[in-house]
Amino acid sequence: MNSVDFLLLIVEFIGLALVSLGAFFEIVAAIGVLRLPNFYTRVHAATIGAVGGTVLPLIGIAFLAISRHGVDPSSIYLVILCIASAVLILVIAPTGSHVLMRSAYIYEKRREKIEGGRGR
Amino acid sequence: MNVARIVIEVVILIYIGSLFLYIVRLIRGPTLFDKVIAVDAFSYDLMVFMALIAIYTENPYIASPMILVALWTFALDTYISKIVEYGDIGE
Repeated sequence: MNSVDFLLLIVEFIGLALVSLGAFFEIVAAIGVLRLPNFYTRVHAATIGAVGGTVLPLIGIAFLAISRHGVDPSSIYLVILCIASAVLILVIAPTGSHVLMRSAYIYEKRREKIEGGRGR
Repeated sequence: MNVARIVIEVVILIYIGSLFLYIVRLIRGPTLFDKVIAVDAFSYDLMVFMALIAIYTENPYIASPMILVALWTFALDTYISKIVEYGDIGE
């Protein structure tokens, strides 16, 4: 085994470790979204699934693509696609969750105000 | 090589199970926002699922629609929240 094969083996191991860690986060997030009691705690679980369960496995898949084919056009395509998607998700997933939670809070306060006004 | 294939198969099965759990929350969700957050998590799960299928079948063009799915999800979030908050999508 020369040094290039050893390097590819280490890269493949890093990729498999990241994908396995992401699968753990994803199943934890799915159970949390299903079992937690109200909307705000469910947003917490879904954000675990977005950052831990999507960004980490995409970076791991980029490592796996390098270790599969070395440097050739198809693996470089998959690597660039995965890194770009990971950066995009890292920006837009917390933004989307925050926007949605803010509108849910405003909706709830507005409903309480309307029902309080009707009670009086 | 063989160990890597087995690990990727197990991870694909875990992601399929998570997709079904998100579908259960999407059907049962008491409010609109629960359904939207379930669709969010479903879409991010679907992205990783597409990338895993691409690396498993060694055909990288399966993973092409990942960025489109991510942007549609973000558009769904902002549209729902702006409609609820202002009654309009706006400019």
